[in-house]
Amino acid sequence: MNTKLTRLRFYGCVLGLAGVLLSLSGLFTFGLNQGLEFTGGIVTEISTTEVVNLQEMNNQVSLLLGPEAAVNLIDEGHTWNIRQSLLKNQDLSWIAQLGANTATETTLLNSSIIGPQVGDELLEQGGLAMLAAVIAIFIYLAFRFEWRFAFGAVLALFHDVVIILGIFAWSGLEFNLTVLAAVLAVIGYSLNDSIVVADRIREILRSKPKQAVSQSINQAIQSTMSRTLITSGTTLTTVGAIWLLAGRPLEGFSIALFFGIVVGTISSICVAPTLPEKLGLSAEDYQPKEPAPELI
Amino acid sequence: MKVKPKVINRYSKWQYLILIFTIAMLFISALPNIFGQNAALNIRSRSDSMLPATQVYRILQEQDIPLTKIDVNNNELTVLLKDNNQQAKAQKVLQRALGHKTTVAMSMHSASPAWLKSLGLEPIKLGLDLRGGVQFLLNVDTDQALRDKLTQMQEEIRISLRELKIRNSTVVISGLESIEINSPGISSRLKSRLKAELQELYPNLKTTVHGGGRISVTIPEAEQHLIRQLTLQENLHTLRGRIEALGITEAVTQRQGHDRIRIELPGVQDPAEAKRVIGATASLEFYPVLAGGGRLIKTQRGETISIARQPILTGQHISDARSGRDEFGGAQVSLTLDASGGKLMSSFTRDNIGKPMATLYTEYRQDEDGSLIKESKVINVATIRAHLGSRFQISGMENSKAAQELALLLRAGSLSAPVSIIEERTIGPSLGQDNIENGFAALLLGLGVIVTFMALWYRRLGWIANLSLLTNLVMLIGLMSLLPGAVLTLPGIAGLVLTIGMAVDTNVLIFERIKEESKRGRSLAMAVEAGYRGALTTIMDANITTMICAVVLFSIGYGPVKGFAITLGLGILTSIFTGVFTSRALVNLTLLRKKKTSHNRALQGAK
Repeated sequence: MNTKLTRLRFYGCVLGLAGVLLSLSGLFTFGLNQGLEFTGGIVTEISTTEVVNLQEMNNQVSLLLGPEAAVNLIDEGHTWNIRQSLLKNQDLSWIAQLGANTATETTLLNSSIIGPQVGDELLEQGGLAMLAAVIAIFIYLAFRFEWRFAFGAVLALFHDVVIILGIFAWSGLEFNLTVLAAVLAVIGYSLNDSIVVADRIREILRSKPKQAVSQSINQAIQSTMSRTLITSGTTLTTVGAIWLLAGRPLEGFSIALFFGIVVGTISSICVAPTLPEKLGLSAEDYQPKEPAPELI
Repeated sequence: MKVKPKVINRYSKWQYLILIFTIAMLFISALPNIFGQNAALNIRSRSDSMLPATQVYRILQEQDIPLTKIDVNNNELTVLLKDNNQQAKAQKVLQRALGHKTTVAMSMHSASPAWLKSLGLEPIKLGLDLRGGVQFLLNVDTDQALRDKLTQMQEEIRISLRELKIRNSTVVISGLESIEINSPGISSRLKSRLKAELQELYPNLKTTVHGGGRISVTIPEAEQHLIRQLTLQENLHTLRGRIEALGITEAVTQRQGHDRIRIELPGVQDPAEAKRVIGATASLEFYPVLAGGGRLIKTQRGETISIARQPILTGQHISDARSGRDEFGGAQVSLTLDASGGKLMSSFTRDNIGKPMATLYTEYRQDEDGSLIKESKVINVATIRAHLGSRFQISGMENSKAAQELALLLRAGSLSAPVSIIEERTIGPSLGQDNIENGFAALLLGLGVIVTFMALWYRRLGWIANLSLLTNLVMLIGLMSLLPGAVLTLPGIAGLVLTIGMAVDTNVLIFERIKEESKRGRSLAMAVEAGYRGALTTIMDANITTMICAVVLFSIGYGPVKGFAITLGLGILTSIFTGVFTSRALVNLTLLRKKKTSHNRALQGAK
């Protein structure tokens, strides 16, 4: 059982590395389909009372807004998403006109106009925030545990984040601000798992210093396995419920969280505990320091 | 040393009291959310005349807008509407019908019973994505404030030079921070007098004397920063005034970063009007018209006139402005000046009867690249016929709409630096309602599955976990209702659902420990004690790191994402509280109450 687990951890690491490489290649070839918050532009969502066919809608929209406006059908001819680049003067009067032209009643669902300055700043801030979070977490973990473990946990985080980004790059799903929030939430979640395992490793290394490190790690993983599976299961259930029921505004958010939790669970079993071992973690690193002998 | 014998698995009385008090308090805070909110309109009259409640009722009836009731108190009518989606429409209809002298403001009224309201408890504030409304992000061009300051200084320095009789000198603005004065051949006596004069004029600025005839006045870094800060604050103040004038009471106007202002207007459906009023940078200035020299400018009729460099008076002295019609039926704006403005105008017109005066209208317009262009036009040149006081009229407005808008802007004050709208979002009310319903459907489904699972998997311990999970949810909602800054957004609801999923983790960690301990043959009481103690460090470590993430998210995000960070962060606090303390108290009170309970029965089903 224990050697099996060691082998499983090894394969998990290899799989993780392959996943990271695949994701990176996706990121470099396709890039992310950045949402409006990052690119700037105008997105308007409207609903129509009558079913309008896509061709007709396309023609009418390009008549009113110019040929660059992109029309997307969201559900059976009732809800539309229209994206256009920034114009000098934006008002929403064209929506009523569009309704008149297509012989239906149109309702504005939402509209966003975002200037080009905002996007760059957000990306910069988002990147900085992620870096700040990782550094803060690294310091906390190095202080509470040990630098090798902090390194393993942070590398596992890197693995999780890159794979989520890779999924978004390969699938072409829109990467918007709420997805960024989900990625940060995954960082928090995946860390939870890594810490629970690390905590147990520390405990076993302290109580059985003579045992081989690899064996202690396996034992720790084994004894926390049911907790890991239950918590991942309950969290996945709720995220699945959001994906299923909360509708389109949270689709990207729930997809990022869902896969993030799956990947995060695997990485905190395979990557986070294995790395400290490879970096030469030994039972002595966790022994409580003996008080210096007093001179009399 | 004497050690008190510690009783395990027993909380002291005060611990139970604190527990019950905390839960009860947050439970009551959560109550108003059950009752929800009703859309309301507050109608206030500027004159003292009584407002006709019957007229309001009739107008709404005619438009088929159902209402619950109309409250009359003092000078204010409060109309409660039946359908929250008709608030914007009703506001428009009433404002049009009641005219300019009354303001019709949209607001939300808590529908909870009076005793809850008297405790000052309100439901959770909903974000724009759940309520519908318009949101703007404005960029404030604080550079312009510095430029204005430098231009004003340039003029003042020229006057000083003239007074000191220093001729042949140039005064040039250099960049955004300094003014260079170059007077070749200036005597050293005059130079030191000029320096003294400049230092007296600008005590906060740095005056440096260079070789030759050069003197420079520099605005130091700190002073520049201060000027920018003040400009932003003045703009914030002005914008709040303008939004109030629009009849929106629950608007959020806040600074974002160094030079941004975020405005959220809940309930507003048509951004166009709000946008015109918020983004408008119009200001008025009055200038003497000169026979020659000064600044050349074209009038609306196409003639070129020359006006003085310094205005007699700027729009800042205007205390009230009304639109109306003159005797020929043309649109006009009647102005009332404040005391110092009245004095300036009075002394100028007394000495200049028979001479012309120009009214200059200045506005900033955004070009295609998003940069701002200053546009000034003379809207009227009038001969001063009499000695003017603090009240007078400007005629020559294009139409009555332009006159109304100018009057509104002048009343609310002009912006001290031009703004440009760089982001605008409109969320329709139907989408907001959908978002709430979908979000809560997801919450119920997630909760249902977890509660069932926990009950089946851990049996009696599972019920305890479920009870603390529900307490957790209620406490989180209570806490969010209580905190003034907490806003529920759609990602916030997702955060709520996610918190429920993660909150069971605390109990799962503890229960797994308890099972392990009891497998080693410890008694139930010992296993519970060891389980809670052993799991505590893990729980703290895991939650503190998640908290770090929530804090980081809170600091970068805004709007929806901030809402997510808030629920995530508060959820961590409540789930530690309920997962560790509440569940422990429940275990102590139920499973361990009867000493006879065999630990096999308590852990039945927990494999």
